[in-house]
Amino acid sequence: MKKKGAFGRLLAIKGAGSVLTAFIGLIVIYVAFGIMNPKVFSIMNIQNLLRSMSKYLLIGIGQSFVMITGNIDLSIGSVVGMSAMTSATLMTRGVNPFLAILLTILCGLIVGVVNGFLVGKFKLPPFIATLGTMFVARGIGYIVNGNRNTDNIASGIGKEAGDAFQNFFYYGKFAGVFNTFWIALVIFLVFFFLLAKTRTGRHIYAIGSNVDAARLSGVDVILTTTKAYLVSAFCSVVVGLILAAQAGMGNMDAGNTYEMYGVAAGVIGGVSPLGGSGILLGTFAGAGVWQILENGLNMVHAQVGIQRIVIGVIVVMAVLLDVVMRTNDKKGFKKKS
Amino acid sequence: MGEKIVSMEHITKEFPGVKALDDVHFELEAGEVMALLGENGAGKSTLVKILSGVYTLDHGSLNIFGKDYKTLTPNMAREAGVAIIHQELNMCRDLTVCQNMYLGREMKSGFVLNNAKMEKEARKYLDELGVDIDPRQVVGDLPVSKQQMIEIAKALSINAKILIMDEPTSALTSREIEELFQIIHRLKNQGCGIVYISHRLEELAHIADRVTIMRDGRFITQGNYADFTMDEIIANMVGREIKEKFPKVVCPRGEKVFEVKDLNAGRLVRDISFSLYAGEIVGVAGLMGAGRTETTRAIFGVDPKQSGQIFLDGKEITINGPMDAIRAGVVLAPEDRKKDGLCTKLSIRQNIALPNLDVIGGKSGIINKKTENDMCDKAVRELAIKTPNLEVDAATLSGGNQQKVVVAKWLARNSRVVIFDEPTRGIDVGAKVEIYHLMNQLKQQGIAVMFVSSEMPEVMGVADRIIVMCDGRITGELKGGEATQEEILRLATSFENKMAREDEED
Repeated sequence: MKKKGAFGRLLAIKGAGSVLTAFIGLIVIYVAFGIMNPKVFSIMNIQNLLRSMSKYLLIGIGQSFVMITGNIDLSIGSVVGMSAMTSATLMTRGVNPFLAILLTILCGLIVGVVNGFLVGKFKLPPFIATLGTMFVARGIGYIVNGNRNTDNIASGIGKEAGDAFQNFFYYGKFAGVFNTFWIALVIFLVFFFLLAKTRTGRHIYAIGSNVDAARLSGVDVILTTTKAYLVSAFCSVVVGLILAAQAGMGNMDAGNTYEMYGVAAGVIGGVSPLGGSGILLGTFAGAGVWQILENGLNMVHAQVGIQRIVIGVIVVMAVLLDVVMRTNDKKGFKKKS
Repeated sequence: MGEKIVSMEHITKEFPGVKALDDVHFELEAGEVMALLGENGAGKSTLVKILSGVYTLDHGSLNIFGKDYKTLTPNMAREAGVAIIHQELNMCRDLTVCQNMYLGREMKSGFVLNNAKMEKEARKYLDELGVDIDPRQVVGDLPVSKQQMIEIAKALSINAKILIMDEPTSALTSREIEELFQIIHRLKNQGCGIVYISHRLEELAHIADRVTIMRDGRFITQGNYADFTMDEIIANMVGREIKEKFPKVVCPRGEKVFEVKDLNAGRLVRDISFSLYAGEIVGVAGLMGAGRTETTRAIFGVDPKQSGQIFLDGKEITINGPMDAIRAGVVLAPEDRKKDGLCTKLSIRQNIALPNLDVIGGKSGIINKKTENDMCDKAVRELAIKTPNLEVDAATLSGGNQQKVVVAKWLARNSRVVIFDEPTRGIDVGAKVEIYHLMNQLKQQGIAVMFVSSEMPEVMGVADRIIVMCDGRITGELKGGEATQEEILRLATSFENKMAREDEED
């Protein structure tokens, strides 16, 4: 057996290579933009960066959980929108913010359970199952306030409570960094731990790698699938609350296409869309790359069209790089009769 | 012999439209190897799946270690001490050895997985088997033989007393098979009962204590292995005496049809030269890793070639991809039927038509239904493919019939050279004979037939000429009638020292 150092062992973890690449890419892109426009390095920009990145990080965490099980969650963006609308509607009707948050989380988790059962128990193709819940959740988001955006939440719960809600999720700072980032970081750490260190996490990898083998080893596939979709739903709800806090109201189209940002963040960070591999640290890097690109392109005044194109190219390149590296690996190991 | 640890009586299991098991009796004692024999579709796999809790039985009684089970889930079976090592290894390729071994029963301290402890335990069981595998290695990077050892180590780690092995040797080299048999002997001496399913009947002499024979979902007979002759076993499996195991057709050797000169394609295809003549079957023998599959793939254009020439009817042809080979009339029936040979989700008709769409579609590219149906009907008739109609999914056919569909694809377009890679792997005795007949039929039509096989008796019985490969080179050529097993083995192991050293590297 070859002996490896601590760093070597770290790299030996499946997918660690892509995470490293993503982090290096992140730094390179950041520095490159900084050279083009020094304001990129300003404290204020870093603060904004971290805050905006939090949304992509949360979405990325949720989508990564689902992708590692070998599935996909298209309902993320709609759950974000539904949550923004539900929470804001409740608050404009004078419901206590805590209760509003709790009810919003419950509603979101129901979507997660439905997704989990459709995919895990009834074995619907995840693309179709979550396409369905995507439309349903968006529809609910429209209906809760009678097909229009909500008024300002302060109109229902008063200015003081309204400001408190907005500050807690978006405008407030702790230790010089916006609360949004701290919230995302705590959630990231909790789910990082769940995925890397617990039995549930192990089972999530197992069903993504070989669902039959996992089932025959006594893994509860329905439960595990549902857990992954619950994580995704929960993260989406939090993003919905963040968006409601940012605008101070509910926007019916909030979170549109966010599910794809989640896929992008995960994939850039080395999460395999086919399941079985990837680590959340990669998703962190992926969300970072995504946000720095968006921020940097803004700072150098690139057109929106150009931004989209660059981002699209980066996503494909990340996966292409992974595929090419794997193919080379296989050539080295190939051994058959 | 020890106490009776498994007893299954009057087991019946029905799937929609099929009675998979009908009043089956099965028993297993501690410290014995019970060979479970039968053709494909005899119900062996269904039976062991019931024993391991994957399927639930419809009627009958199931008793493990003196305890009756009305229902049995995979978890309950595991707790009862039943472990199954699947024919198609069932592992999470992305997880490590240790993670796979403890999947579904991870050790924890509090909420957190205790990886150190699991790794230590995993290493203990791997050491016990005497295999050099790092528990932290990712399973997908390991060769099949090692993966199998991991499954066995997993079985040991759950303290399994009843071990079911479904075709465990089909992907192993002879040396690995020997190691496996030693391990089986050791487990047996420790009091484990082993259910051993294999199509390679010649293996039984080394390990089987008793045999249970099934046919068409029914129990046929059971007894001590020593009390049966091989012919009796085969007769019980197929329900008829097979007069000649290897039907041989003599026909005059014709023109040289196909020639390969100095073909090189990677480490396992080096300086390969041989010729095929009309009216003969050439067998390619060798051990696993000898480069036989690689050679067929390089010829067919699946893998790139480094150098070499290929001649058909004396004219040099260029094969850069499978399409070139198919157009020229050089075709391959690959090793892994389900993966490389067939689109299992498509119907028989679509499968047969697939490489022939240029013929069926003509210039316009619109598929001519009548031409297609005629072509497929003819193929099904000529090859005697057993199927209710052309629209059945290829996946639903038995292994032997699937193999025929693979061949049917190529015969529809008057191919000149047909290369089979392990055509009889995993198919039952009766279907094997049909495949031999099929090869003979091709030979009589003047088609050059080459087939790669790991089963020596088959090569010796069917081939007119035998090419032996070892470590990427052709090490000898023998006449079919005159070759002995010893001679083939000697040629197949000509580079033994080098191979032994390289095996240790992985």
